[in-house]
Amino acid sequence: MRFLPLIWSGIWRKPGRTVLIFLQVSIAFALFGVLQGLKTGVEHLIAEARADLLLVRSRAGFFANPLPLGMLEQIQSVPGVKVVEPVELFLGTYQRPTQRVGIVAIRPDDTWTTAFTYSISPQALNAFRKTRTGALALVDVARKYGWKVGDHIPLQTNIAQRNGSKDWTFDLVGTFDDSDIGAGRGYILINFSYLDEARLTGQGTVQHFNVAVSDPRRATTVADEIDRRFANSANETRTESLREMAQTSMQSIGDLNFLIRAVVGAVLVALLFATATMMMQSIRERTPELGVLKTVGFTSRVVFLLVLVEALAVFVLAAVFGLALATLVFPFASKFVPGLTMPGIVVGLGLACAALAALISSALPAMRAARLQVVNALAER
Amino acid sequence: MSAGRQFLGILGVNLAAVTQRRGAALTIIIGVACAVGALVSMLSMGVGARQQEIGGVRPEHVMLTSTGAPMFQGTIPRDEAITVRDLPGIRKDRDHKPIVVFQAFVGSEARRRVTGNRVFLPIIGTTPNITEYSPELQLTAGRMFRPGLHELVASESCVRQYTGFGLGDRRDLRGVDWPIVGHVDISGYQQCIVLADVETLMSAFSRTTYTAVRVSLQSPADYDRFRASLESNPSLHLEAQYERDAVAGQFKQLNALLNFVSLFIGTIMAIGATLGAMNSLYAIVDGRRRELATLRAIGFGSGAIVASMLCESMLLAVPGAVLGAGLAWLLFNRMSVSPFGFSFQLAVTPSLALLGIEWALAMGLIGGLLPSLRAARVPVTTALRAL
Repeated sequence: MRFLPLIWSGIWRKPGRTVLIFLQVSIAFALFGVLQGLKTGVEHLIAEARADLLLVRSRAGFFANPLPLGMLEQIQSVPGVKVVEPVELFLGTYQRPTQRVGIVAIRPDDTWTTAFTYSISPQALNAFRKTRTGALALVDVARKYGWKVGDHIPLQTNIAQRNGSKDWTFDLVGTFDDSDIGAGRGYILINFSYLDEARLTGQGTVQHFNVAVSDPRRATTVADEIDRRFANSANETRTESLREMAQTSMQSIGDLNFLIRAVVGAVLVALLFATATMMMQSIRERTPELGVLKTVGFTSRVVFLLVLVEALAVFVLAAVFGLALATLVFPFASKFVPGLTMPGIVVGLGLACAALAALISSALPAMRAARLQVVNALAER
Repeated sequence: MSAGRQFLGILGVNLAAVTQRRGAALTIIIGVACAVGALVSMLSMGVGARQQEIGGVRPEHVMLTSTGAPMFQGTIPRDEAITVRDLPGIRKDRDHKPIVVFQAFVGSEARRRVTGNRVFLPIIGTTPNITEYSPELQLTAGRMFRPGLHELVASESCVRQYTGFGLGDRRDLRGVDWPIVGHVDISGYQQCIVLADVETLMSAFSRTTYTAVRVSLQSPADYDRFRASLESNPSLHLEAQYERDAVAGQFKQLNALLNFVSLFIGTIMAIGATLGAMNSLYAIVDGRRRELATLRAIGFGSGAIVASMLCESMLLAVPGAVLGAGLAWLLFNRMSVSPFGFSFQLAVTPSLALLGIEWALAMGLIGGLLPSLRAARVPVTTALRAL
């Protein structure tokens, strides 16, 4: 402890230099935090995705081959299936062609929420069930377009109504939130029965079915059994859990891992080199002072540790600052990758990296300082 | 002595002494090399993706979709598609037939070779004159599909990326076995493409409309004429777009994402490198206080000192940029990646290297600014007293 003032004055011997090193280390670790946060964020999302919710869709892909509503009973009869809900999807635009709003049509029966990842207040749920033309908007969408409960929301779509119009108007009865990220953050829920009766073509078909299984551990077996039942029929299915889907869509980002690692590597190499030369320079300039320290009785080991601790303090503080900066960037980056997080492991890894970088870059200068001969050091004065 | 000669004189001394300040100089070079290397290799993603998508598309190619529908998602009735053949400005093949390709896309699945994951893979039903439309499509093994038969032709990249695309392998579509009868290569195209006869595919999937119609014009200049007669024909409900623009539109989002990520990372690394350079230059200035004071004392202007220091830091940044771009080229050029489910090769191009050098010059300039001002303001008397 008694060395603290000594270390402190060593750090602030050249304030400009220390501040620049501090900033450089901060920036390196801000980048480290963002890139690692991206990686762990993705892994976290996959782990969070529900494994017990299955999605039954056509093997030919979304939108290619709508499934008849009659399949619902067949799916329901598969052992282990708790709830089956039909889901129809289409795309609308609000006011401008660039403002896209996804439209998800579901059947608000008594059990439907168990087959989805939504959180809806009981009032909104009740109002939605009672209003045929009602719609629930994802909180993000409602905020983006300033929609309030009670608003009439006109949307332009590709789906013609019986009267020929492709414009649909829904009454906003509430908002909801979705814990799953696979579907994006820009859609609303409407009543399937209203859509199905009002539309010109495609009655009685849906894009996919949501299935809740009674035992999450048997989800894979249930999924395989559903696909087996429809094998070689006109509507071959592909059943996947939300977690599997998250895995597939996120895996593609994994291909960039090599690139991310290369960049992080480059950052650390540049940083190590820059700080190591700075430390060398600093020790060279301080040779006489270190000589004085040794003259008054500081051992080589203490001098060695003094230099190491100085570097360690600057690096670790800067890394903390940099990682904090990274969390500030997250809301901005979440536009591209939702659910970015900075779990403890990234913070720990960052600090460990900072400590390691400090030790490596200061080891050589510290050794030099420790080996100084008092006579030579003082002679340089 | 004129300011110009002063500047050159100091610069010469600076550069001659670089070897004595090896540490500081190397810090600048390596810092800049890492920043430029990262920037260039990240940007090479966007460039590679663009090159692959746009590079192979001829300027005289035009895509048609039904009015209001996005490209590649049209529903074009047969009679309308056939009418397109009579429109003016279309190139003719050897048999004097207009080169108009009808296509229908259906979904299927493929299994990734590496991960074993099942992924979505569209199958493109096309009229056989696709080879007239894109002559760069070369058969490398087997033969083309025959009209009327359940046969598939896959690109070489399918074989690399997915299982079950070898010659003679059978793929199950709608309960029917479709053998792979040929492999094609489309120069430099990394994305997997599976082709089949459009009419056979449509009847297998009970489709009655085409997804897209592609037209090869005599020259890009015929576009206006072609489009005018397309739009004036009341029986056609189609929209035309240069294929180049249509494809670019499809990849706008991916490119925006890739470029955002690249510039974001590049900027952060550039700031880091600039700070590093600044620190090294401050160290250089501190080490040369006496020398600089002497120069001032014997009549060198502070303008010349500032200019020569700036020039030195920029000159040190350039080899760093060359090193960084060179490393990026060595490590990443032509590397195949498939982020976001789309496969392409990274492309480190000369223009990217040039961009890297421009960034490096900026880093050198900004990093050198404050230290060179300090160099010019070294108080002559105090500095000389230190002698």
